[in-house]
Amino acid sequence: MVSQKIGAWIARLGWIWVDGQVAQITRRPGATTVFLTLRDPSADISLTVTTNRDVLDTGAPNLGEGARVLLHAKPDFYPGRGTLSLRADEIRQVGLGELLARLEQLKKLLAAEGLFEPAGKRRLPFLPGRIGLITGRASAAERDVLMNTRRRWPAVEFRVINVAVQGPTSVPQMIDALRVLDQDATVDVIVIARGGGSTEDLLPFSDEALCRAVFACRTPVVSAVGHETDTPLLDFVADLRASTPTDAAKRLVPDFGEELRLIRYARHRLDRAVTVLLDREQHRLDAVRSRPVLARPELMVEHRQVEVTSLWERGARTLDHRLTSAAGDLSHTLARLRALSPAATLRRGYAIVQAPDGTVVRTPRDVAPGDPLRVRLAEGEIAATVAEMPPAPGPPVGAQTERARS
Amino acid sequence: MTDELSYEQARAELAGVVERLEAGGTTLEEALALWERGEQLADVCQRWLDGARQRLDAARAARSDEA
Repeated sequence: MVSQKIGAWIARLGWIWVDGQVAQITRRPGATTVFLTLRDPSADISLTVTTNRDVLDTGAPNLGEGARVLLHAKPDFYPGRGTLSLRADEIRQVGLGELLARLEQLKKLLAAEGLFEPAGKRRLPFLPGRIGLITGRASAAERDVLMNTRRRWPAVEFRVINVAVQGPTSVPQMIDALRVLDQDATVDVIVIARGGGSTEDLLPFSDEALCRAVFACRTPVVSAVGHETDTPLLDFVADLRASTPTDAAKRLVPDFGEELRLIRYARHRLDRAVTVLLDREQHRLDAVRSRPVLARPELMVEHRQVEVTSLWERGARTLDHRLTSAAGDLSHTLARLRALSPAATLRRGYAIVQAPDGTVVRTPRDVAPGDPLRVRLAEGEIAATVAEMPPAPGPPVGAQTERARS
Repeated sequence: MTDELSYEQARAELAGVVERLEAGGTTLEEALALWERGEQLADVCQRWLDGARQRLDAARAARSDEA
């Protein structure tokens, strides 16, 4: 009852065109009905398709698993097993040329949406803490990335998620892996790597859903798919395109030896710069210290000593002159003094006659007979008395005395 | 106080002291004070340079231990 109602409801759905990938194909010998499992290549969704062998032979005679098909079908409910399927009346295998044309169209669409803009590209870290690697299990690509990256930077860490890199399940697996790695805070960069393959093999790497997932990633994504000449759409949307998995290693991590060399060189220059600076400053300081004012501070005193000595000498000389000339003056004055003294006259035999009161007697009129007199000679004096008075005008008494002596 | 001078401060002051000493015209007392200051400043400069060289040598020694 319920099945009938569901069947009736589904039967009302119209004919549609469906695009998908063949996951499985079952041709039973002798049976006219062929069963296909159709899968959406981006989402992990599949649906059973039933069709007539003639329809298949007309539209897609060599249909195999993994091929892309376009089919005209109507939803059909099979009450016997309660399953929903599509009943196709036309199946066309999508050829390589058509696939490439579609890719070109998708590329234009994504470019127009800005998914390839250089401004949107994130820079890779100089030295990633951890690298997320999405690649096939035990593949050459995995080995290439791991080995070459470790050779350049031995301490590098990886978180590897192995996925199917071709076939119908590869896109959903890669999108899941991307999400896991993007959410891992320790992963600084994500690499999607795969070795070379046919254009069909590389189709998952041009998948629209994968491209959008990569664009949505907050972690930088590196595309390392196929050979140099392969350019899946992933290459355009990724933040960095490596031509091969080996090339990816070069771009992921710096070369340890090279970095070591650069550091050594930088250290050497640093050393030199500081040494040169120190030497220059030492020279400047030495130059200042060798200037006479600092190197020979005794000069400060010596210069003044010379000054003092010369001044002292000048003083002494001056004083000496003064003394000499003063001595000359003195003897001269003494000579004059002596010249003026009566002593010399007395020595020549003159005498001075004085009254007792000291008055010099110059004429007989000054004395009377009996008056005491003092006669002064060169070497002493004589006390005398006036004996008589000659008739005037006689010579002075002193003259008589003088004459009497000589 | 002198010890808190930077190398550049000490060097600049030292140059000034030498200039004043060389220009002359100071009293002996001033000249002596200037000279003493100059010696002090030159010592400060030398201590800075010696210290820097020691640190450089220590860094070099540490590096060659590493290598």
